[in-house]
Amino acid sequence: MSILILPIFIPLVAAVLILATRGKPRGLKEALTLVATAATLAISVQLFGKEISFILPWIGHGIDLSLRLDRFSGFIVLFASLFAFLTALYSVVSMRGKDHPKQFYFYLLIILVCTNAAVLANNLIFMLFFWEGILLAIFGMIAIGNKNAFKTATKAFIIVGISDLCMMGGLAITGYLASTLTISQIHLELTPLASIAFVLLMIGAIAKGGSMPFHSWIPSAATDAPLPFMALMPAALEKLLGIYFLSRITLEMFKLSAGSWISITMMTIGAATIILAVMMALVQKEYKRLLSYHAISQVGYMILGIGTCVPAGIIGGIFHMVNNALYKSCLFFTAGSVEKQAGTTDLERLGGLWKQMPITFACFVITALSISGVPPFNGFFSKELIYDGALERGKIFYLAALIGSFFTAASFLKLGHAAFCGKASQENRRVKEAPLGMLVPMAVIAFLCILFGVYNQLPIEKFIQPILGHARLEGHNFSGFPANAWLTLTTIVVLIAALIHHLIAAKAAGSGLKASEHIHHAPVLGTIYQAAERKWFDPYEVGMKVVHIASLLLMAIDRIIDWLYDGFLAGTAFLASRALALLQTGNYVVYIVWSLVSAAVALAFMVK
Amino acid sequence: MFSLLVLVPFLILVAVNLSKKVAPNVACSLTALATLAQAGFVVSLPGTLLKTNNVIFTWLPDFKLAIDEFSIVVLAAIGIVAFVACCVARSTINDPGQRATFMNLLLVALIGMNTTVMLRDIFSIYLFVETIAIISFVLISIDRGRLALEGAFKYLMLSAFATILMLSSIALMLLFSPTLELSGLAEAMSVYPNPILIKLSIGLFLCGLFIKSGLFPFHWWLPDAYSAAHSAASVLLAGIITKVVGVYVLMRLSLSIFGESLHIQAMVMAVGALSIITGAVLAMTQKNFKRMLAYSSISQVGYIILATGVGTPFAFAAAAFHFFNHATFKSLLFVNAASVEKRLGTMDMREMGGLSNRMPATGITSLVGFLSTAGLPPFSGFWSKFMIVLALWAAGKYFYAAFALLASILTLGYMLILQRNVFFGKLKDGLGGVKEVGPGLVIPQLVLAAIIVLVGVCFPFVLNKFIFPVQSIFLK
Repeated sequence: MSILILPIFIPLVAAVLILATRGKPRGLKEALTLVATAATLAISVQLFGKEISFILPWIGHGIDLSLRLDRFSGFIVLFASLFAFLTALYSVVSMRGKDHPKQFYFYLLIILVCTNAAVLANNLIFMLFFWEGILLAIFGMIAIGNKNAFKTATKAFIIVGISDLCMMGGLAITGYLASTLTISQIHLELTPLASIAFVLLMIGAIAKGGSMPFHSWIPSAATDAPLPFMALMPAALEKLLGIYFLSRITLEMFKLSAGSWISITMMTIGAATIILAVMMALVQKEYKRLLSYHAISQVGYMILGIGTCVPAGIIGGIFHMVNNALYKSCLFFTAGSVEKQAGTTDLERLGGLWKQMPITFACFVITALSISGVPPFNGFFSKELIYDGALERGKIFYLAALIGSFFTAASFLKLGHAAFCGKASQENRRVKEAPLGMLVPMAVIAFLCILFGVYNQLPIEKFIQPILGHARLEGHNFSGFPANAWLTLTTIVVLIAALIHHLIAAKAAGSGLKASEHIHHAPVLGTIYQAAERKWFDPYEVGMKVVHIASLLLMAIDRIIDWLYDGFLAGTAFLASRALALLQTGNYVVYIVWSLVSAAVALAFMVK
Repeated sequence: MFSLLVLVPFLILVAVNLSKKVAPNVACSLTALATLAQAGFVVSLPGTLLKTNNVIFTWLPDFKLAIDEFSIVVLAAIGIVAFVACCVARSTINDPGQRATFMNLLLVALIGMNTTVMLRDIFSIYLFVETIAIISFVLISIDRGRLALEGAFKYLMLSAFATILMLSSIALMLLFSPTLELSGLAEAMSVYPNPILIKLSIGLFLCGLFIKSGLFPFHWWLPDAYSAAHSAASVLLAGIITKVVGVYVLMRLSLSIFGESLHIQAMVMAVGALSIITGAVLAMTQKNFKRMLAYSSISQVGYIILATGVGTPFAFAAAAFHFFNHATFKSLLFVNAASVEKRLGTMDMREMGGLSNRMPATGITSLVGFLSTAGLPPFSGFWSKFMIVLALWAAGKYFYAAFALLASILTLGYMLILQRNVFFGKLKDGLGGVKEVGPGLVIPQLVLAAIIVLVGVCFPFVLNKFIFPVQSIFLK
């Protein structure tokens, strides 16, 4: 046995034990979860930096239980375990008094099991097995939320399930082309068939990351699912997993060049996701929904960065993945604190919380500055790298990323202004600071955000650059302050513009919340927003409408066929029965005549 | 050795009538024993029976008794159904005098049927068919009710018509054949130059048999006779008598006389198919339990005739198998009807409903009979219908194969209507006091249900031991 199976095995055992617990003693589930995630974290720290592989025969025919630890997978496992531990810590307090704690902790651990296994897997089928396991856990985790949750869970299941099916097809083609299922042995040229495989795999990866057009379940889940789930999955682990796999296929499994159409496609998807999702985020009036659109928007930066296929972009994309996981889960944690303490996340009813919840507010400010890309926080550095890569490939992509930055900053100014500043309403005066169990995870992450910004040599040199290797880096070192001063200057100008825009708009509108209203109701944009709010752009809802119409149509056809059987055929049979029964008059003379006639006909038929 | 099949019932008949003191119950028990022995004997020792020499009377050259694989199947069915009828009579006929009469009639009918199965010349067959017909008239009218008399009279009239047809046919046959023995007759037919005369003679005889078997459009007497007769009589009549005098004789003739003629085959198949569909369609709207079973009988006999008409050994074996299965499941359904009639005093299905709740054994065995009739696996009826469809397909009669398959949906339809109206669902108001019938009726029901299930489950055994050997008759 290898130490390598421990990050998978420990949470698995704990998950099974949790299923076996009864109501008493209280706190057993929480303790089990905390211990298991902490142990997993400790082991992943130990594992980080090593290169181990491990094979157990499983099904045969090239399908083995094969694990591989290298710089990249060790790094992802480390962060996945960290987020699982912090979320578990946070959940102990935030899930208190909520329904279905047993299922919640079970799914949390199963998600960790599946993520670690999928990341460590060195066999396509083995990976797929756990990749799909995450789908089930997502479904279960959303379904235990509020009363709308089951519908949302179904939505998530169908969307993610369809993308997973694409990935399954991609895996099949890849396995066929490479004639091996071992990931580390696959290095495919981009032939037409391989391109199809790549696109299918890419769909699976970016859908897991939450990119458009596979995003629409995330805002629904934000309001319906338990909050720690949002901080764990769409904010952190899904990004880690999706972008991890995207990087793997881009960097390792396929030989992708910077000029290829696939690169352009990826950058286009990234840019479109950034702009469209951030525009939606800007006009949200609910804390968690606003964050969820940012969770979608931010994945656009990563896809754009990796899609550039130049070292700066790739480093930026992966760095942004870590940064986003950090600040986005922290932002969701602040939302959870506010929800728990103030009882609502509706921005209309919040305000002035900074006095009552200073630590939460501080964490919010740090992470909001990070996500907006303000120096010297971590988001600034990863975005600068992505800008650098995007500029190298085309000004339009850079422009899209910059516009995204502007609106990100604007929407967080609005969010902070509406939730924490302004006047506190009567009911908010008595709100207290969140309990310690919730503050610690937030504070830890906020600290990491500052650390990864100020001392970005740590993540970039230790975690990320080794993934690409010296050959690909061509001797560059991307850590430290951005080399291109013009880019930095532009970014700062854009951020200041966002601040000025917010101040003017807030003053004109009278409140921070309404600072985005002039955009919401602008001539052309207003119509588009209305259509979006009616879910015209949600592929799932549109698909469901089509399915509904199709099912009505099929129902009508079914009714006709049903009538043919139930009404027409049965009716004909009964009519025929009645008609034939009329012959049975009871008069034996008639019977004899009938028999005579029949006999005559039979004889005539025979003798003819 | 197989003369025992005739001698034993004859001796019992003489013995029970020697003294008036012999109680009808003794007669009943003796008959039941004899019939059980017959069924057990032919099933367990078919080899011995087949090896026995034919019985030949030197002073009557055409008259001889012989036995073959097909006779074995029919003799087994006769034994089983006669036993069941005996049990039913014992529990449903209350008047001792009537019961004694019934036993006498049953014994005579048994002798007649056993002999018919072993006969090999057309005139003796005709004679015994008529004997059984006369017994049937009395059996139907044994109740002396108005309806029973009406039913018996209708049967009498149409039977007389059939007699005329058959007698004229035999007269025509004597024109071209020196003998009426079946193989000699076939030989004479093959050399006679005028085909019209041959076809006419066969056609007339066939029409007579159609009336006797109750095939559409010659079935007019059958629903009245079956539904008006006493329960025990209807079990005997529907279960075996009409099958032997009509269907068996037709199958026997098809073996030796008209098996080769395409025209005759086409006509027989057409009549069979017509019976299947009209019987099933008519059954659907019946309100009387026994009347519905009567129409179902027409439909099921249609299957046997349809398979007989194909003329291949496999189809003939399938027909013989369905013959046996039909005898068992239709008797079972008539015993169910007898049980219901005993408790409710009526056969009107509008007054029934949910009887399974009160009469579990009757309900469950009727379900077995229903599923077997409808041709659902693993019951016996499935296998025989399946073989019939296969045989039709293998012979190139694709239309009839599809037809037989689709018509079994109709069977399922009317059997479901029957079950729903009588046994399934909530108990109808006013039936709360109904109890299960006594062992006298439950035992025959269980025996028949067990036979149906066993034949269905042990199908490979039955097939190899009894059904496939029937094909060998064609080689002789």
